Amino acid sequence: MNAARAFVLALAMVWACAASADVAVPPLTGRVVDQTGTLSSGDIASLTQSLKGLEARKGSQIAVLIVPTTAPETIEQYSIRVAETWKIGRKKIDDGALLVVAKDDHHLRIEVGYGLEGSLTDVTAHRIIDEVITPKFKAGDFAGGISAGINRIIKVIEGEPLPAPAPPHWQEQGAFNGAALLNPFVLFGFFIVGGFLRTVLGRLIGASATGVVVALVVWLIAGSIAAALLAGGLAFVVAMFADGFTPTGPGSRSRNGGWSSSGSSRDSDSGFSGGGGSFGGGGASGSW
Amino acid sequence: MRRFLTVLAALATLSLTNCGYNAIQTNDEQVKADWSEVVNQYQRRADLVPNLVNSVKGFAQQEKDVLLGVTNARAKVGSIQATPEVLNDPAAFQKFQAAQGELSSALSRLLVVTENYPQLKSDALFHDLISQLEGTENRITVARNRYIKSVQDYNVTIRTFPTNLTAMAFGYKDKPNFTVDNEKEISTAPKVDFNPAPAAPAAPAK
Repeated sequence: MNAARAFVLALAMVWACAASADVAVPPLTGRVVDQTGTLSSGDIASLTQSLKGLEARKGSQIAVLIVPTTAPETIEQYSIRVAETWKIGRKKIDDGALLVVAKDDHHLRIEVGYGLEGSLTDVTAHRIIDEVITPKFKAGDFAGGISAGINRIIKVIEGEPLPAPAPPHWQEQGAFNGAALLNPFVLFGFFIVGGFLRTVLGRLIGASATGVVVALVVWLIAGSIAAALLAGGLAFVVAMFADGFTPTGPGSRSRNGGWSSSGSSRDSDSGFSGGGGSFGGGGASGSW
Repeated sequence: MRRFLTVLAALATLSLTNCGYNAIQTNDEQVKADWSEVVNQYQRRADLVPNLVNSVKGFAQQEKDVLLGVTNARAKVGSIQATPEVLNDPAAFQKFQAAQGELSSALSRLLVVTENYPQLKSDALFHDLISQLEGTENRITVARNRYIKSVQDYNVTIRTFPTNLTAMAFGYKDKPNFTVDNEKEISTAPKVDFNPAPAAPAAPAK
């Protein structure tokens, strides 16, 4: 009994330690996340406006995060964790940048995504911190320092040739495209496989096998279990009830193909999310 | 009967993908990619060193020992081939890590020395090189972290049931991971001595 109690106590202590270990990464509520209440709502709005403008023009995403402290981690460890969680920047282009300010620690860092390391080099980032941001921070002008620094970063990024930004309401890259199921080749494959298995195995087992095979293939190609189940079920129904090779496919389903994952929330900043960019620890840190 | 056999064959094919062979391949490739990134960033640091030494030399010629130490460590790093085969040879991995650790400590000695030269510290070129070095060191840390994590994934895969059977059958061994270079030094509490050490005043008198 005592041993059990001691065990529970030890477990609780371990949990308490784990909970107090690191500062949690805050949710990405907008382009500017201020956990200290340093910036006025007007500051945040104007910063958001210029960052949104940059994304519309160039496609790059920049986010600003102000936290009280990053202890016990260093700001470098913390900011790479934030960058990995938020995934600012477009996928595969990796053109994201992050400005992290730890207000009580008097540390700040510009974290630069892989795709911007060519223009926003460590040296440039260091200069921006040293020459633009910290002089204002020293004078207590946080809003001014951040907006001046962000404007400098924007100017640097504008000079970088990047792929054109995707038009709004673009379907998310890499997401499973429902329309691919209605591709004639895929459909044809369904019927061949279905017909073959049905003649070999009989109606019910053949249709089930077709469903399983199609689900597996779709899972391999699209990597999405939901899409695989959907396709498998579809194939099962088709193989079960369609006669031979006559395609009586679900042509009316084609409306499903066009759903777009990012809705119309682009106007307000609440729908802001990272595009999947990755970071490798580039950038510079500074203190004031 | 024929029907039954067909179903059996289909099931056998399915269960093959379940024995973890593909998972081992995926993890193995991930480890290799992360290792390449580590080597890539170490190479970036090694490329920076000659410029850094040159810019320090202009201001602090009397620090020959320190500069020589950095140059030698850099040469040693350059002589070690860091191919992915290193990952399957713990001794070679140790050697690589030791050489990089030596360069790290030589560089940190150099940075300590540069504190004594205000003129050097205000030099723009030196300033830029230092920010590049800082950025590179941070990239090395990140790359090493990611390597450590992917090796963990790999090792867990090949040591847990049932994938360990597959790993045994195909001869996959666990991969070495990074350790702290000076484990002993860290585990002993640092001594703080406020009495002036006898060696310190003697040095400037020379």
